[in-house]
Amino acid sequence: MRLPEKISALLKRRSTLVLLLVPLIAVGFALQAFGTPLILNIYTYFCVNLMIVLALQMFMGNSGILAWTHVAWVGIGAYASGILSMAPMVKSLGVPNMYPQLVELQLPVLPAILLGGVVAAIVAGAIGWPLMRLSNAVGVITLFATLIVVHVVMTQWDNVTNGPRTFFGLQEFTRLPQALVGAILVILLAHWYRESSLGLRLRASRDDRFAAMAIGVSVVQVRYVAFVLSALIAGISGGVWAHFITSFSPKAFYITETFLLLTMLVIGGQGSISGAFTGTAIVTVAREILRQVESGMNNSGMFSFEVYGLTELVMAVLMVIVLIWRPNGIIGGQEITWPLLKRKNRPDDGAGTDVVEPA
Amino acid sequence: MLKVQDLYASYGAITALHGVSLEIAEGEIVALLGVNGAGKSTTLKSITGVLRPVKGSITFLGEEIANRSPESTVKKGISLVPEGRDIFGSLTVEENLRLGAYANYERARYKTDLEEMFQLFPILKERFHQAGGLLSGGEQQMLAIARALMSRPKLLMLDEPSLGLSPAMTDQIFDLISGLHQRGTTILLVEQNAERALEIVDRAYLLATGSLEFSGTPDELKRKVDIASVYLGGDDNDHCEVHL
Amino acid sequence: MIDLEFIINTVSLGSLYALLSLGLVFVYGILKLVNFAYGEYIMVAGYAMHVIGQNRGIPWYVTMAVAVLFAAVVSYGTELVAFRPVRTKSLTAMLVTSFAVSVFLQNVVLITISPRARAVPLPAFFSQTLTLGTATIPVRNLVIIGTTIVLLIGLTFVMKRTVLGIAMRAAADKFTTTRLMGVPANLVISATFIISGLLAGVVAIFWVGRSASVDPLIGAAPLLIAFIATVMGGMHSQIGAVIGGFVYGLLFNILSIMLPATMISYRDAFMFVIVILFLLFRPEGIWRGGYTEERVG
Repeated sequence: MRLPEKISALLKRRSTLVLLLVPLIAVGFALQAFGTPLILNIYTYFCVNLMIVLALQMFMGNSGILAWTHVAWVGIGAYASGILSMAPMVKSLGVPNMYPQLVELQLPVLPAILLGGVVAAIVAGAIGWPLMRLSNAVGVITLFATLIVVHVVMTQWDNVTNGPRTFFGLQEFTRLPQALVGAILVILLAHWYRESSLGLRLRASRDDRFAAMAIGVSVVQVRYVAFVLSALIAGISGGVWAHFITSFSPKAFYITETFLLLTMLVIGGQGSISGAFTGTAIVTVAREILRQVESGMNNSGMFSFEVYGLTELVMAVLMVIVLIWRPNGIIGGQEITWPLLKRKNRPDDGAGTDVVEPA
Repeated sequence: MLKVQDLYASYGAITALHGVSLEIAEGEIVALLGVNGAGKSTTLKSITGVLRPVKGSITFLGEEIANRSPESTVKKGISLVPEGRDIFGSLTVEENLRLGAYANYERARYKTDLEEMFQLFPILKERFHQAGGLLSGGEQQMLAIARALMSRPKLLMLDEPSLGLSPAMTDQIFDLISGLHQRGTTILLVEQNAERALEIVDRAYLLATGSLEFSGTPDELKRKVDIASVYLGGDDNDHCEVHL
Repeated sequence: MIDLEFIINTVSLGSLYALLSLGLVFVYGILKLVNFAYGEYIMVAGYAMHVIGQNRGIPWYVTMAVAVLFAAVVSYGTELVAFRPVRTKSLTAMLVTSFAVSVFLQNVVLITISPRARAVPLPAFFSQTLTLGTATIPVRNLVIIGTTIVLLIGLTFVMKRTVLGIAMRAAADKFTTTRLMGVPANLVISATFIISGLLAGVVAIFWVGRSASVDPLIGAAPLLIAFIATVMGGMHSQIGAVIGGFVYGLLFNILSIMLPATMISYRDAFMFVIVILFLLFRPEGIWRGGYTEERVG
C-alpha cells in the first residue's frame, strides 16, 4: 500500500478521533491567534472540563456506575498538586496551620500536577476494591457517602487544605496551549481505553453483569482498574484546573460541581467519547450564555432581588428533557464516525437497556 | 375469539417473531408448541401487552389489542399463568388471589369465586393464610392458575404449566386444564411436554425460530411432523418427555 | 449516661429517622430508584409552612396539614413530569433524573424565595419541655414518638389490609406480574410517590421544628440520613428501613456522647465510615427482605 492510502485507511479507522481532534485543535489555534482574552479563557476552561468529563466517562460511561466520587478525585488532585507546586513562603502565608513537612515541599508545576493525580489514584486504589463489589442502590449510596466523607475531611483538615477557607496562591500554569495538550492526551487515552480489552470487558459487565461473569470477566477487577485509572486522570485534571483557577475551596468539589459534570456527560451521551465531548461543549456554551443572562437581569434592575440559581435551574430542566427524549444522550452510546450519517447498524450500546413497554 | 395476524416482535435488534398468525375460537383449547427460543413466550408476551409488537395485529373479540398495556388486556378478559408461575412469594395465598381478582372485581361474587377455587384446589384453602413463597412447586402452580381464574378470564393462557413439576403433579395439572376446558374456558396452552399437551388439545401450532411451522389437529401434527425429532432429534421412549 | 432522657431522645431520633428512611424505601422498593430528590420534598414542606405561617390567623395544625399535603403533591408531580417518562430507561438515567429534579427544586426556591434561611412559625409546645424525675424531655420528642407509632400502624394497615397496599407489595416483588393482574403500573407508582411525599412532609415538620427555620439546602442532611439508614437497615424491605432508622439514631447519639469535642465535626464522616465498613461484610443490610432486584418495565 502506498503512503496516502495507508493514511486514508488509518483516518477511516480512527475517524472518531479525527472528527473530535481536528476541530478541537483548529479552534484552539484560531482562538490563540484571534480570540479575545475572555473567549480564550472560556476555551481553556472547556479544555480542562473536557479532561475531567472524559476521565468520568472512562469509569462511569463504560461501567454504568454513577460515579459520585469523581469530583473528590479532582479535588484531591487540585489540593495535592497545589501543595506540591507552591513556594514555601506562599504556603505558610495561605495556609497558616499547614504541617511543616508539607510547607517545605516544592516541585515544578508539571511534576506536581502529575503527582497530584498519583495521590488521587492511590486514595482511590486504597478504598476502591470493596466499593466496586457493591452494585445497584447500595453501590450508588456508598459512593455518595464516600464523596461526603472526602468533603468532610477537606473542610475539616485545616493543616492541609486550610479547612473550609479559600486555598490560594497557586501559579497560573494552565493556559490554552497546556489545556489543549491535556485535552488531546486525555481524548486519546479515553478512546484507547474504551476500545481496549479492559474497556470492552467493562462495557460487557455494564450491559449484563451476569453474562459478563459467565464468560469469565472479573467484574470487580475491571471496574477497579477503571476506577483507579479514572481517578488518576481526574486527579491530574484537577491539578490542571487548580493551576488555571489558582484559588479554590472545598465547595468546588462537591454536589453542585458533580451535577455540572454529570450534565456535561449525560447530555451528550455517557456511553461514548463523542457524547462526552459534545455534552461538554454544549454545557460550556449554555452556561456562559446563562451567566450573561443572569448578570444582565441583575444589572438591569428589572428585579428587586438578586437572580441566583438560574443556570442550575435551566441545566436541570435541560438534563431531564434530554433524558426523556434521548436517554442515552444526544450522540448516544456509539462514537460518531466518518462519513457522519452512516452509522453502523447495530443497537445503541449506551448504558442501560431500554425496556420495551407499551404506552 | 383471538386472532393474531402477521405478528413481528423483537428484543432490541433481535427479531423474535417473523410474521406469526394464529387463531383461537371460543371454547377451544389450543396448544402452542416449539423448542426453546422458538417464540412461544414472545407470542404470549405480545398478546398480553408486556411486549410491544413491531408489526402485525392482535384482535380479541373483534377489538384490536396490539399495543395495549398488560393491565388493560386482563380487563378485556385475557389472563396469563406466567412461566415459572411468578406468584407473589411475600404475599399470602389470600392476597395472591385477591390481586388475581383485581381486574374484574365485584364484591358480591368475590366470595363465591373464592369458594369455587377452593373446590378446584382444596390445598389453597388449607394454605390460605400462608405466604405464597412457602408453597411447594405444584401448589404454587395451582395458586398461579387459581389467581388467573379469579379475573374470570374469557381466554386463559398457560405458559409451560408443567415446568419443573413431578410426573404425578404434571398429570394432576393436565387433568385440571382439561377440566377447565370442559367447563367452557377457552385455553391457549404453551407446553414443553408436547406429547402430553397434544392429548388434551383440539388444535396445535408449531413454532420454529419465530415463524409458524405447522398448524392443525394433534393427529395431523403427529402424522406430518416427527415431534421427537423437532425437539430433541429423536427419542424412542413411549412417553417422550421433551425438554426445552 | 444511659438514663431515661437518653432513651427517650434516642427513641425519638430513631423514630424520626425511621419515618425518613421509610419514605425513601417506599419508592425504592418499586422503582429501584434511589431518589435524590427526596430531601427536596422535605424542603418544600418546610417552605409551605413558612409561607402559610405568614398569615397569623391560620391555626398551626392547618399549616402542618397543608405542608404535609404539599410535599405529597410535589412528590407526585415529580413522578408525573420527570420520573414517569424515564421509568423504563436505564437505572442511571433515572438516578440522574432524580438528581436533576433535586437541583431544580432547590433552585426554584432559591430564585423565587431566597437563598437565605426563612423563619417558620411553630406551636408553643414545640419548644416546651417536660420534667420526669431528673430527666428533662422536650415535648417535641414525645410528639415524634407518638406520631411515628400512629403512622407505622396506619401504614401497616394500608399495606396489609387494602387492595392498593397489597398491589404495592406485589409490585415491589414482581412488577410485570402485578400488571398482568390488571393493576395499573402508574397507579401503584403514583401511590408510592404520594406516600413517600406524605412521610417526607411529616418528617419536615419535626426537622424544621428543630431550628424553626428553612433554607434551600435543608433537604441535604435528611436525605443523607435516609440513605445511610436504609442501606444499613436493608434496602429491600420497609421493616429494614425502620430498623435502619432506629439503629442510625442510636449510633448517632452514642457517637455524640463518645466523640471528644474536637472530633465532633467529623461525626458524619465517622458514621459513614462505620456504615461503609458494615456494608462490606453485609451488603444486604441488617434485614434481608423479600424484594427482588427486578426493575420496572
